[in-house]
Amino acid sequence: MIQVDNLVKTYGDRFAINNISFKINKGDVVGLLGPNGAGKSTTMKIITGLMSPTSGTAKVCGFDVFENPLEVKKRIGYLPENPPLYLDMTVENYLKYVTELKKVSIKECASNVESALEKTQLKDVRHRIIKNLSKGFKQRVGIAQALVSRPEILILDEPTVGLDPKQVAEIRDLINELKGQHTIILSTHILSEVQAVCNKIIIIHQGKLILDDSIENIQKLRQPQTQLNIKVRLDKDLSFEFKKISGVLSVNQVNPCSYRIQIEDDEVTTEAILEFIIQTKAGLLEMSVNENNLEDVFLSLTYNKSEEAVKI
Amino acid sequence: MRSVWIIFKKEFLGFFSSPLFFLMAFVATVLFSITFSMGIQNFATLLSNGMYQMGANPQQLNIHYAVFLQHLSLVNLLFIFFTPALAMRLLAEEKKNRSFDLLMTSPITSWQIVLSKYLSLITVLFAIEILAFIYIFFAQQMFQFDLLPTILTGTGIFLVGAVYASMSLFASSLTDNPMVAFIIGIVLNLGLWIFGGLADFTDHVAYKKIIEQISVNQHLQLMIDGIFKTSSIVFFISIIFFFCFLCERVIESSRWRST
Repeated sequence: MIQVDNLVKTYGDRFAINNISFKINKGDVVGLLGPNGAGKSTTMKIITGLMSPTSGTAKVCGFDVFENPLEVKKRIGYLPENPPLYLDMTVENYLKYVTELKKVSIKECASNVESALEKTQLKDVRHRIIKNLSKGFKQRVGIAQALVSRPEILILDEPTVGLDPKQVAEIRDLINELKGQHTIILSTHILSEVQAVCNKIIIIHQGKLILDDSIENIQKLRQPQTQLNIKVRLDKDLSFEFKKISGVLSVNQVNPCSYRIQIEDDEVTTEAILEFIIQTKAGLLEMSVNENNLEDVFLSLTYNKSEEAVKI
Repeated sequence: MRSVWIIFKKEFLGFFSSPLFFLMAFVATVLFSITFSMGIQNFATLLSNGMYQMGANPQQLNIHYAVFLQHLSLVNLLFIFFTPALAMRLLAEEKKNRSFDLLMTSPITSWQIVLSKYLSLITVLFAIEILAFIYIFFAQQMFQFDLLPTILTGTGIFLVGAVYASMSLFASSLTDNPMVAFIIGIVLNLGLWIFGGLADFTDHVAYKKIIEQISVNQHLQLMIDGIFKTSSIVFFISIIFFFCFLCERVIESSRWRST
């Protein structure tokens, strides 16, 4: 559906994106991640035809973004970082205008507008001037304009930025609802969002692609270490005994009854620790496993990389 | 063409729903009312008194020059300032509000964007000129005169306004600051007349001829005198096309620039 090959964009001497290649299949919901200034928005702008790359190619539905820009633009709904709104128009008139601009047939215009208003829960404010709406509503109008032409591909650049937690949850539900109807590319800083809605993740850092994989594979990327948080009733230092158990890498006694134990990532070690606690009648009160989640992967891939870069 | 019509319609209705157009129409009407009635009164005084007529320039005794030309010159003066003010919202303000991204990611070409916005701008200028012509049409109910030279002058002023529109739209495409676009537009519009005036400062026959041929003054003067030449129309259309082309290039280049 989307094929990006060796994409490069430079601003003078600075590389905004450097040799990025990836492929997105039909129906995928892709999370585009990266720290600020990593090149996420630039990549999105190139795919939408808003910006030209310095070199490389991008194809959408088989059409080259630069050779057939009009065909590509017909198939894409794009929400930029700042929603492209005409503040002096009403919500309904604005969506009608966008539908017509996107060359939707006259017959389908009205039904498309209705459906976009319904999906984004804007029916109550359809006759209001956009200027007078709150930020959350403006963002929803932005999402509605991306949806209104029923495009095959939806590109949403930080759709939840500036929204309150309830609105964020609503947008997440909306994206979940849109799954299957569109191929979606989503950039955000909220990693739990990505975990909740995406089936594929692309991480860009300093203009380079450092990860392109499915959510399941990324969760398998966990480092071969797990941290156990243990709380016992027995007010006695058990650190030495814990260290004796095979597979335990380090023990940190947080307070007289609580420990953070770093173990090799296998179930046998966890079982051995539990058995030891039961045998010593230490009284297990609480045990939790700190799993490597997406945030850890993201941080280890991006921030560790920048530290390495600094060292170099 | 549907895309051009859609953007044209949106911009055209946008002008008529903004206070700016009504403020301009108000200012224009007040000025037209004052200058037209004074012009008619002075002309009537001149005609009714033989003493005044003796030393008068023949053109002062012709209603076309003495009243209507003055009236339409005011339209030209207003266009110099009104056109950039109207044009600044067409591209500069869109860039500022980021709504320009919508146009750039819609399946429309840069030419369609320029053409639709340009057409909406000259339609508004036409509406302002119609305001000026209302006075002339009413004058015809009272006096007998040939309307054709005045209509030709009006066409000339409208064509000059269309040139201002192309330059102001180009100015609007250069920046995302509407105020800067407004100032650049005024400078370009005034520059057009200053450039034409340069012919008076040179004695070199060839240079003089060249400046005269490529300045609007000469071509407009021909139309004021009732001479309709195809070369004048070609000249106006060429300048309009040139600035619209530059505007299209600026829009297209925004894909390449680091915005």
